[in-house]
Amino acid sequence: MSWASLLLCVAAFACFGFATDEHHHRLTGRRPGAGVRRRWRGAAWCALALALAAAVAARGWAFGPVLWSGAAMFGAGLVFLALNFGPRRAGGVGANRR
Amino acid sequence: MSRGIRQSQSTLHTWSGLLLGWVLFLVFLTGTVAFWREALNRYMRPELARVEQPMRVLNGAQRLLSSKAPGAKGWLIAMPSAQMPGAQVSWQPQPKPGEVRGRRGGGRGRRDNQALIGADGLPSQVRDTRGGEFFYRFHFDLYYLPVIWSRWLVGVAGVTMLVAILTGIVTHKKIFRDFFTLRRAKGQRSWLDGHNATAVLALPFHLMITYTGVVTLMALLMPWATVANYADETRMFADLFPQAPVVERTGRPVPLKPLATMVRDAEARLGGPVGTIDVSQPGDAAAQVTMYRTPASLLNTRAPSITYDGTTGVPVWRSPAPGGAAATAGVMIGLHAGRFADLALRWLYFLCGVAGTLMVASGLVLWTVKRRDKLADPARPHLGFHVVERLNVAVIGGFPLGVAVLFWANRLLPVVMPGRSRWEVHALFIAWGVAALLALARRPATAWVWLFGATGTLLALLPAYNLLATRWNAATSLAAGDLLPLGVDATVLAFAGGYLWLARRVACYRPPVRAGRRARASAIPIAAMQEAAA
Repeated sequence: MSWASLLLCVAAFACFGFATDEHHHRLTGRRPGAGVRRRWRGAAWCALALALAAAVAARGWAFGPVLWSGAAMFGAGLVFLALNFGPRRAGGVGANRR
Repeated sequence: MSRGIRQSQSTLHTWSGLLLGWVLFLVFLTGTVAFWREALNRYMRPELARVEQPMRVLNGAQRLLSSKAPGAKGWLIAMPSAQMPGAQVSWQPQPKPGEVRGRRGGGRGRRDNQALIGADGLPSQVRDTRGGEFFYRFHFDLYYLPVIWSRWLVGVAGVTMLVAILTGIVTHKKIFRDFFTLRRAKGQRSWLDGHNATAVLALPFHLMITYTGVVTLMALLMPWATVANYADETRMFADLFPQAPVVERTGRPVPLKPLATMVRDAEARLGGPVGTIDVSQPGDAAAQVTMYRTPASLLNTRAPSITYDGTTGVPVWRSPAPGGAAATAGVMIGLHAGRFADLALRWLYFLCGVAGTLMVASGLVLWTVKRRDKLADPARPHLGFHVVERLNVAVIGGFPLGVAVLFWANRLLPVVMPGRSRWEVHALFIAWGVAALLALARRPATAWVWLFGATGTLLALLPAYNLLATRWNAATSLAAGDLLPLGVDATVLAFAGGYLWLARRVACYRPPVRAGRRARASAIPIAAMQEAAA
């Protein structure tokens, strides 16, 4: 369940990242509309909520929330690194390609 | 929100971050390392095998104490476990007649009243080192300075940090929208994005760790609540840390029951492993044994305890459930220290600490990066700029070098050497002093490269030395099923790689030469080197 929480957090922030104009455009080549962005953000929040449930199920109410916030930060960090330092899609515009 | 408020918050963010930024860097760095306090306690004593049978070690500790200090006023035993280097024991001799009663555990500081029992149950001849304890103490006590001054300094730094974080959030609301944005190789923009990323990604951690850190020092920073309620400080401690009634020596010798039996009983009653064993008046009819549950399994650091009659092994006293305020404070300190954290959670704490250290460092460098372009004459910056720039090199570049040297001193100083543990620490400060002199003598562009390069090289060579020259290293421990030396060595190597990469980036950095600024171009390489790390 701890792992599930961690994976859900990574997925949540991947959705958050995908909801941003810049990264969405770079990865798909399309500008996301307001509805698309909202849907991805909604999915992200759902994943975060599920991650909390998983963390509490795994560690109880004392340590679960601690694990959850740790996992959320880890997920955010991982997605941040992946989006900014990971492979860039060849078809994308590559706004800040070096 | 009006522009005026935003502006004032921004100013506050800049200056509260800068003023004690260097202290914060030290506090963040050592605090981050201190999450591996127990791991380093073992790593820095490479002659010790891992404890496999804690009770055997405990029996050895009792044997040694019974023969060495049978009539002591008290014994203190840190319960051995696989995470501990062994059983650390200390004893407090009976006070001489007329001597004022010392503080509890007053003999702890004296070297000749201590021993370390190894995994085989025998007192071990091990290098004298402070291990991970150094980082833990330095984190709030610093070193060389009187403890009270240090705590005030660290406490004030913690409060300014809290101010800097909150004003940072208020000023830069955009940081949440630009959450995933990192504009690379864009000079000031990159530094700002990097600073934001390390700050926002671990923001819950930063807020938690800073707030709870200030809470650990609350009695010092805001003594009024205790002053108003307690005329006598010892009364407050009695309320906060309740203990069984103190026993007087009867003079009638009765042997102490085996501690191992009482530990088993206490673990069943307390619902978790025992961390500390406090024996008062051992070997006497009045002997009393108090077992504290280890905070390694609790969110609250103020662990419950149970007291036994030492001659019969019957429990006679139990700590009452803590009050709401005491429990709140205990939980906050527990959250701060992360002693409850298992390996995965501890890694998260550590990574967040690394992010915090990077946040402080990048904030400090950002101060110079932002102002460099606005300097009237970049070749001759004003005094304030000079001071900040050089201090950045000396602290951000120099202190990690000192830490690397500390690790090497731990390996290279002769195993038998008077004041060895102190010299390990002196080595850190000597190296740091040399680094500071270098930061003054050389241009920052050169000094950054040298310091990062030296730190990276020292860290990279350490695992190799361990493999060749230490008894328990990554290979031998792994064969025995112990991952710790491998884990620490791998982490050290990762940081070595990071520092060498930084050194290379700074060394290879060529600032863009802009048309029409030819006159300034010669000054830019000196000044703009730090931007390379972005």
